[in-house]
Amino acid sequence: MEKPNNEDSLFIERFLGGETGGFEELVRKYQDRVLNIVYSLIGKDRECEDIAQEVFLKVYHNLGSFRQRSQFSTWLYRIAVNATYDFLRRRRNFLDEEVSPENIAAGSDGPREALSKREKEAALKTALAAVPLEYRTALVLKDIEGLSYAQIAQVLGCRMGTVESRIYRARQILKEKLLKGREEAA
Amino acid sequence: MKDCAKAKKFLSRYIDGQISDKESLFVKAHLSHCLLCSKEYFGLLEVKQLMSAKERKSLPPDYLVFRLRQEISGQRQAQERPSWIAVAGDLSRRLIPVPAAVVALSLVFMTFSLKQQAGRYSLDEHILSGSGTTTEMAAKVILGAEY
Repeated sequence: MEKPNNEDSLFIERFLGGETGGFEELVRKYQDRVLNIVYSLIGKDRECEDIAQEVFLKVYHNLGSFRQRSQFSTWLYRIAVNATYDFLRRRRNFLDEEVSPENIAAGSDGPREALSKREKEAALKTALAAVPLEYRTALVLKDIEGLSYAQIAQVLGCRMGTVESRIYRARQILKEKLLKGREEAA
Repeated sequence: MKDCAKAKKFLSRYIDGQISDKESLFVKAHLSHCLLCSKEYFGLLEVKQLMSAKERKSLPPDYLVFRLRQEISGQRQAQERPSWIAVAGDLSRRLIPVPAAVVALSLVFMTFSLKQQAGRYSLDEHILSGSGTTTEMAAKVILGAEY
């Protein structure tokens, strides 16, 4: 069982005691983290904000049933991942059309050093979208959110060995896709 | 080759620093002499660095709080709508069939009574027709029935 975060516990207690301010502190603290997880998984700005809002609404309505057996953040990330999966199920065509390999290739003349930051970002976004969702989720929680393998296993409800292999596979696929993108651009 | 498989198994954890000292030493030693695994390692490490440096989105501090306040207050208002509005809405939904039923019943009644009207004939008409008067008819006349 994870040790609960004291600050989060205080916010939760305040909220459960009838102070909406406690909930709002949690939103302020975690809004960007939730947003970045969602954004890295779906790659769209506008929808990210809507999903983040949906996540915190679920937190608002269910915080009373959160037993604090795990950290609040683990519970929150699980809600965020599930809300994103629901969104993706509703909208199958989530791949951002703006970022195509052609767009990445435009203006680049071979070596990766020549790619601007924006182009690199676009290349990464496209490559990431090609990684299967389960692998991508594990990788995002590791590299974007900096969670430990044990925390990721808790969020995703799987074993640590599974997390390890998903992260490894995600990185392998990303590496291949990025390399392919560079070769096409050259 | 056996060592390569073992080293690859540890690569991601090695990159993430989630590996025991013993395993870490093994990977380090293997990478120092295996070109293929080194290539794999640097490729994965680059991906890790790219991901870590990935652009992060950020919202103004109270942006989501504000949106949530609006949404929650909207939900509350919907739940706590004055009861008379809710009752009126409910009643209007329930009562719409009542006038319709009244109109339908009136139509049926009017049609029926018109038919009856058309089927009747008066005592005078009966006398003029010259047909016989049954006891039943006489009783009805005495009791103030239609004839």
